[in-house]
Amino acid sequence: MKGALLAAALLGALWAVVSGQNAAPPIHFAYRPIDFRLDSSETPQRHAPETMAGGVAIFDYNNDGHLDIFFTNGADIRTLKKTSPKYSDRLFENDGHGHFKDVTERAGLAGAGFDNGVAIGDYDNDGYQDIFVGGVHGNRLYHNNGNGTFTDVTHKAGLDKPDSRYGPLWSVGGAWVDVNNDGLLDLFVVNYLAWDVNTEPSCEAAPGQLDYCHPKFYKPTPNQLFLNNGDGTFRDVSAESGIRAHPGKGMGAGIADYDLDGWMDIFVTNDKLHNSLFHNEGGGKFEEVAFETGVALAESGQFISGMGVDFRDIDNDGYPDIAFVALENETFPLFRNLRKGGFADITQASGMARLSTPMAGYSPTIADFDNDGWKDIFVTRGHVQSLGYASHVQVEQPNTVFRNLGGAKFQALTAEAGLTGQPPSRHRGSAVGDLNGDGRLDVVVTALSAPAELWINDSPAGNHWIEFQLEGTKSNRDGIGARIKLVAGGAAQYNQVSFAAGYASSSAGPTHFGLGPNKSADLVEIRWPSGIVQQLRDVAADRVVKVTEPQKQK
Amino acid sequence: MKLVVLLLTVACAWAATNPKAAAEAEEGLALAREGKYELAIQHYRAAVALDPHLPGIDLNLGLAYFKLNRLSEAASAFERATKANPSGFQARALLGMTYYGSRRFDAAAAQLKLASVQQPDNVELRYKLAQSYLWSKQYPEATAEFRFLLAKNPDSAPVHMLLGDVLDAANQQEQAKAEFEAAVKAAPREPEVHFGLGYMYWKRKRYDDARREFQAELTNQPRHSQALAYLGDSEMHAGDEKPAADHLRQALKLDPKLRLAHLDLGIVLVASGDAAGAESQFREAVRLDPSRPDAHYRLGRLWRSLGRDKDAEAEFAKVKELGEEQPQPPLIAVPGQSGEPKP
Repeated sequence: MKGALLAAALLGALWAVVSGQNAAPPIHFAYRPIDFRLDSSETPQRHAPETMAGGVAIFDYNNDGHLDIFFTNGADIRTLKKTSPKYSDRLFENDGHGHFKDVTERAGLAGAGFDNGVAIGDYDNDGYQDIFVGGVHGNRLYHNNGNGTFTDVTHKAGLDKPDSRYGPLWSVGGAWVDVNNDGLLDLFVVNYLAWDVNTEPSCEAAPGQLDYCHPKFYKPTPNQLFLNNGDGTFRDVSAESGIRAHPGKGMGAGIADYDLDGWMDIFVTNDKLHNSLFHNEGGGKFEEVAFETGVALAESGQFISGMGVDFRDIDNDGYPDIAFVALENETFPLFRNLRKGGFADITQASGMARLSTPMAGYSPTIADFDNDGWKDIFVTRGHVQSLGYASHVQVEQPNTVFRNLGGAKFQALTAEAGLTGQPPSRHRGSAVGDLNGDGRLDVVVTALSAPAELWINDSPAGNHWIEFQLEGTKSNRDGIGARIKLVAGGAAQYNQVSFAAGYASSSAGPTHFGLGPNKSADLVEIRWPSGIVQQLRDVAADRVVKVTEPQKQK
Repeated sequence: MKLVVLLLTVACAWAATNPKAAAEAEEGLALAREGKYELAIQHYRAAVALDPHLPGIDLNLGLAYFKLNRLSEAASAFERATKANPSGFQARALLGMTYYGSRRFDAAAAQLKLASVQQPDNVELRYKLAQSYLWSKQYPEATAEFRFLLAKNPDSAPVHMLLGDVLDAANQQEQAKAEFEAAVKAAPREPEVHFGLGYMYWKRKRYDDARREFQAELTNQPRHSQALAYLGDSEMHAGDEKPAADHLRQALKLDPKLRLAHLDLGIVLVASGDAAGAESQFREAVRLDPSRPDAHYRLGRLWRSLGRDKDAEAEFAKVKELGEEQPQPPLIAVPGQSGEPKP
């Protein structure tokens, strides 16, 4: 393995010299507008949900091969109802050339409440991806009818019940994941904290100046796990699975099988609390192991403002690593998977500590933006506090992409990557996918009380790429949880199918690999959640490859 | 403080509308000049009882309280004095100083600003005003005041450092760095100048630069315990565990209450395989401040690695308890920032 990594590193250096990338920015984006403005009903009273809105998803809602965009939106903060069209959730259809048409009304996705996060997944395995929307005191499940419309099936699914102890919960998002490998996607819901507009505290940033309260002034709430019964209904197994015993102030969930035992695990960031890592023991049981595995707290040992998270292999060793973000002076922590069931904090060693210390982040997504074979990290930035909070805090910030320099070091690119092409803003959610079919991953970003931003990837196009659109047969149809190993040019890299990434958002496009100068992949090995291992050889690059799970192991 | 002494010698012109009151006031002033402030206060209060409007009496009463560090009473007296004579410089300036001493920096800045209008070239006053702006996080105003002071004395290392603090707090890192560097250039042997620059680098996790400055501070002040501790911390983050351990031990010899040094030394000892030594350091860090999760976490992780799962669970439980602590009403808070000057 070391030999392969070294070879890849040398090749990387060679490409840089040959292609003259020292002059051009290795990762670059061009801004493109889209007609959506996030409205969280900001008021002078600074109610907490106002600063937390902004989930977004990229997925192909009509199976035309082009990735579409869905935005969640706020509502009137006192009634939690969408009392105006400005609060409408929005679905934009992609014509394949980077042009987007608002199809919300036809799709029936305008929504009704204060919506926060979104999770995409084909929960009924009908070949059309469905939408879970997490919100303040109300969630929604929309079934994709396959004809461009959706049906609200929340009640039928059994997802509309308030918690027996905590009452209505505030969900910031969720993740679809098959926790028991029965071929059906289950639903993990990330809940933030206990909030009520009539009883929440008032906090001042300065005498007479109200601002959003520190999370310590609110009580934690438990996350939820709903098991898919396979008939359009779900069963709340939060308590029996062990999830409910660990309430927190959840801000993000990353899913991955970190110990490669065949069961999907769940990492949850908490706001000013220790993180949770729910190890899947099989049999529908989870054990919380964050302290034992070394991911409960960041390097400083302090409680930090854990925000969004992504859980993927960063150093190409086949084991998923963890990247999450926080506010300024807290750094954006990186946990490297040690392959023995534990993690090491490499925030300092990777350079990320120094690079991220002045930054406030919301949504990190791990993906290869320059197609060099190393996954980078795109982070939406912006502070949680209100505009004018304090002169010494940069509330509005530009986004940043952290370029992976070979697995253990990162380079921060902001202006260099074109990301100051728009004014700084209070960025929130983000989703990643190739929106224009050019093989380079684009990003859509939301921002509070501001237009959404499309960041079209126009990095140097010399590197090759490949994407895999999986279709499970025994496994869940989306293939969520499948581990993909790809070998090209003598170097291996790994990814997994997971649509949960960043803050309150979902990136549900095909699974992307950058191949550098390699025009094909020598080997592609897919380990499906069913246990079936499928191999493809000599797969040509620069295309989306559709792979169907074989019915049995060959 | 010079400002106060100066004022004490001039605030003694009584208008004798009530001779008995004036006599009490004179007696009080005489005692104050001898440093007998408790007795002086008794006479001043007697004077007030006889003539509440005796000019200057509240100013002198406030001064006596101020000298005794009875700042609440001093503030009340100065507030009465400024109300009686809104254009009086002395009472206004002293009220500002009293607020400053009470850490009421917003109020201090307001009063000192008014006083500085009357004496714009009073450098001591402007220095205190600038500091009030700094600690009340009025960074643009603080910047302007410190720049005014630098115009008067471009080689003042303390002013460069304080301006550096302001700019650093305002996230103007490059300008902050320039001010700390100017302080070093103006007075490289001045105590604290290298530490100030090093601390700024340290906060930004620029550990290599921080190390250089902490070492320079130690050249000037070899027994600077904090410079030793932060040097050790910076070395630890750079992976240089041997010098880190040496410097952390030196720091703790000078000041055994340096929690950061205990914590860091524990981390370094874990890396070197000295579990017993690490445990001792983590325990001390916990003892010094049990309300912080980091040492509990480290101790739990250490015990976990040693197979002492029950002990580890107990420490992890403490971390969780700390995270679950909820404040009691009234729920008014300043999020994120402590508002305190750095130690």
